[in-house]
Amino acid sequence: MSADGQGGVAIGASSRWAPWVVGAVAFLWVVPIVGILVSSVRPLDEISIGWWSTGKFTLTLDAWRTVWDKYPLAHAFWVSVKISVISTLIPMLFAPMAAYAFHFLQFRFRRVMLILIINAFVLPSQIVVIPLFVLWRKLGLIDNIWAVIIPFAGLSFAWAVYLVKSYLEDFPRELIEAAQVDGCGPIARFFHIVLPNSLTPIAAVGILQFLWTWNGLLLPIVYLREEVPLTALLARIQGVYDRNWDQVAVAAIVTTVVPLVIFIVFQRYFTAGASMRSGSKE
Amino acid sequence: MSAPRQRAPAAGATGASADSPAAALRANGRRGILAGGKVRTPLGDAPAAWLLLAPLLLLFAISVVYPLLETIRLSFYDIRGLGSPKLVGFANYVKLFEDENFRTALVATLKWTLASTAASVAIGWGLAMLCSLAPDRTLVFRVMIFAAYGVSEAVSGFMWLGIYRADAGLLNTVLGGLGLGAWQNPWLGDPTTALWAVIVAYVWTQVGLPLMTTFASIRAIPRNLFEAAYIDGAKPLSMLRHLVMPLSLPGVRVAIFINLLSSLKAFDLIFVLTSGGPVRSTETVGYFMYRESMQNFKLGYGAASTVILLLGVLLVSVPVIVQRTGSAR
Amino acid sequence: MKKRHGHDARRPGGVRAARSTHRPGALAAVTIAAMIGGTAVAAEGELVMINWLGGAQAEMMAKLQDDFVQKNPDVSFRDIVAQAAGDARGGIRQVILGGEKADLLVNTWPSFREELVDAELLVPLDDIWESEGLDESLSSVWRDLTVVDGRNYGVTYTFGDRSGIWYRPDTFARAGIDGEPQTFDEFKATFEPLREADVTPMAVPAKVWAHAEWFESLLIRTAGVETATRLAAHEIPWTDEAVRTALEKWQELIEAGCCHEPNTMLGLDWDVATDQVLRDGDSGYVLMGMWLNTRAKQEYGEEPGTDFSLMQFPALGMGHDDVSMIDAKELSLLASTRNPEAAAAFMSYMLTADAAAIMADYGLASPSAQADTSVYDPVIEKSVQEVSDARAVQFVLGDLLPGDLGGEYRVQLQKFLQDPSDETIDSVMAALEKVASDAY
Repeated sequence: MSADGQGGVAIGASSRWAPWVVGAVAFLWVVPIVGILVSSVRPLDEISIGWWSTGKFTLTLDAWRTVWDKYPLAHAFWVSVKISVISTLIPMLFAPMAAYAFHFLQFRFRRVMLILIINAFVLPSQIVVIPLFVLWRKLGLIDNIWAVIIPFAGLSFAWAVYLVKSYLEDFPRELIEAAQVDGCGPIARFFHIVLPNSLTPIAAVGILQFLWTWNGLLLPIVYLREEVPLTALLARIQGVYDRNWDQVAVAAIVTTVVPLVIFIVFQRYFTAGASMRSGSKE
Repeated sequence: MSAPRQRAPAAGATGASADSPAAALRANGRRGILAGGKVRTPLGDAPAAWLLLAPLLLLFAISVVYPLLETIRLSFYDIRGLGSPKLVGFANYVKLFEDENFRTALVATLKWTLASTAASVAIGWGLAMLCSLAPDRTLVFRVMIFAAYGVSEAVSGFMWLGIYRADAGLLNTVLGGLGLGAWQNPWLGDPTTALWAVIVAYVWTQVGLPLMTTFASIRAIPRNLFEAAYIDGAKPLSMLRHLVMPLSLPGVRVAIFINLLSSLKAFDLIFVLTSGGPVRSTETVGYFMYRESMQNFKLGYGAASTVILLLGVLLVSVPVIVQRTGSAR
Repeated sequence: MKKRHGHDARRPGGVRAARSTHRPGALAAVTIAAMIGGTAVAAEGELVMINWLGGAQAEMMAKLQDDFVQKNPDVSFRDIVAQAAGDARGGIRQVILGGEKADLLVNTWPSFREELVDAELLVPLDDIWESEGLDESLSSVWRDLTVVDGRNYGVTYTFGDRSGIWYRPDTFARAGIDGEPQTFDEFKATFEPLREADVTPMAVPAKVWAHAEWFESLLIRTAGVETATRLAAHEIPWTDEAVRTALEKWQELIEAGCCHEPNTMLGLDWDVATDQVLRDGDSGYVLMGMWLNTRAKQEYGEEPGTDFSLMQFPALGMGHDDVSMIDAKELSLLASTRNPEAAAAFMSYMLTADAAAIMADYGLASPSAQADTSVYDPVIEKSVQEVSDARAVQFVLGDLLPGDLGGEYRVQLQKFLQDPSDETIDSVMAALEKVASDAY
């Protein structure tokens, strides 16, 4: 068996050609991203012909310097971190609780609520803007990050519950039932049995929610003034009649790096959960 | 006991397995082995369930239920910009059904949603399976593809504008260079190609999601199943077909769910690439909703279209959800 | 030189309604206005502006705000940023509907001004005109342009010629064209030499909105500014002969070989079109607003007047050759204002020579009499001249139309470009009339 870390099909059979195929696709896929990188380091007159243009090739950090000088990036970065971290932790904890309740417990309105929650995902976030705007003004929450965190978290349940529930459907019931025999109540069963073995869906929820809240533009722009996150701040780079691609590219790079780091870190938690530890009770 | 504890799912969607005695007992009642009621919480699961659901319900009620009720209420008014709202009952809905643009948008949406979801899930799933054959070596590639999902739709749009530009865009330049000059086209200006061009760009952004969720599913498959198969002499491709594919279905279901419903709402990419044109050929329901609510600011009309979209989705999803959360649970 | 503002004609019942205060809710607004009457006081306190500008325009506004604060150190400026995809009006409405209170608003859409006045969200400025003596800086043309129902609601601080066609002198030289074509026939006659020099005569960016201005310019040249005004107010239907004539003139241009293939036009963005004309020399003419001046200077690094220039829309000889389309930005006072004195002082500042100088840096013209026009580059100068010489001016038609009619209007013009035949003209006019009858 190959020492391949956890799980994976590569036990004993290291595949030679698979990485090449994936690599080929990935290199083709990344072309527009390379475009963004190149656009951020070439002058505007060269990019407007096309970032791939070969005639005149100058490398310059002008766009980077302009963006750094003109925009208070550090503060906005910190605001983004606060908003995204809190908005991500909430569904990471509460969505599994809800999914567990919907999947393993029986109670009235279970199906109706599930239907409502799941279908809410089709609602675009713009329906939230004005009603909550009025509410937040009355509560004095404008320019408070919670004005954004609450809807981010609330809207996330629409898809997060379905996601965790989907992964829970293959959870071995025997484990839960064994705990029930031992006298564990439903909540204890959740915290001791299901939660620790559900790292995979929790990590997936984390990756997606972080990405979406980090990139979220509509709500922060409307609800926040001084406490402006990075994306909202950098959205002002693009004027109505300007096509300053180079600065827009810089903004794109600066904003996209962090969710990608989260992706790399969290995907390590994609593991075989329950059944890996299942041997111990026997 | 050395038999694998994970039950292999049968073809049925509910996952009820057919071969173990415990399962047979389970099929008879909701409480599994203890269906006879040896140990049972006296009040049933309800209190625990509500406790677990409380935080979600609170946040959900504020962030979704309240705005949804507002939206439904608004749909019965005629609101033009900042003018005072006029109660018009179902007039907005009637107008929607008579609105040719809405009907065209529905047709475009059908093509848009089905094509983009099918393509991105198929590609993502296929790539995930290949990646699972060499997880560590393919990490960097997965990041590259997920980056397309991580970049904002607006920025992706700008990049694809450069690709699709008629005179000097990357695509036409490459085609010319390959001697395929005859295939050059103003991709975003030609009403017959515009929608598909935007779909390609959209799929490019979306593949990262199915890739991630299906890969996660595959990684969650217990190791001992692979060990058993390996001992039995299965080759990688065969393991993929018979083991990985069925067991990664949770990830596939999530991917379809998210991609399908996201595509119904999608706006930013279409706006940057074509603004719904040319001659409205790339106007989807998501674009229609955004345009009517946020740009034309006919809040009542836009709200009505949102309600109709929700009803449409409910129509399809309720039977599926009811079936999947059936009495076996 | 009497200039008609034209926009007031929207109100049924004629050109200029008498001053009337019979709107009950307008009492608050009138009271505020009355409070400001009298001598201008020193500005102090916080001044809040709903600011939707981005990019270079935001930069310019920031500089103007800074300069004002320097001159009035007791004032502090605060921006409420409003943003939405496409038209900023959506974002502004969100901010207002959400209950935000602000003093100033930058407005560039006459139809939006009307919408705000109807909703009683703007304060009439006639008293500010008095107290700040704005009449000395802005002629009555500009004052009349921002009147709704007989009262003034905006102080115009910048304007641009939208009847200007941009070109490169060296493209002309290559095609052997001698000087700017003055008449419609001369204009058409330049198409052949341009095509022979491998240049597409007109770059028409029909992707979203920019193609409409060719139609509008033809409309005012064939039927005059008054007709455009009445069309915008739906006092004449879209099936009127005036619309047909304008479209037939465009047909003539297309038949003379003006443009790209329809699909190419439909996929053409305005900035790609301007690149083609002013940077690459692949096309001859583009009809665009004055922000192209900023773009050409900053992005192409070109010299106005020498590398590129501006000519007024050709004359059609139908009696309306001395009219012009314009765009403009104005400052309005919101009914939720808490610091009207400072707002009035800012409006006054925007008409000073210093403010005009900052704007000139960005290639934009000020309508103020205090502006020192010697700092204007040849292109701004020419555009200012054309507008000043015009017998009548009117805003771009697209900005006068209510929301969904504007969208339909642009799409119908796209359909016309796909197939500029007589049948299409009929169906376009009918379709527009159908949407228009519902929209008002």
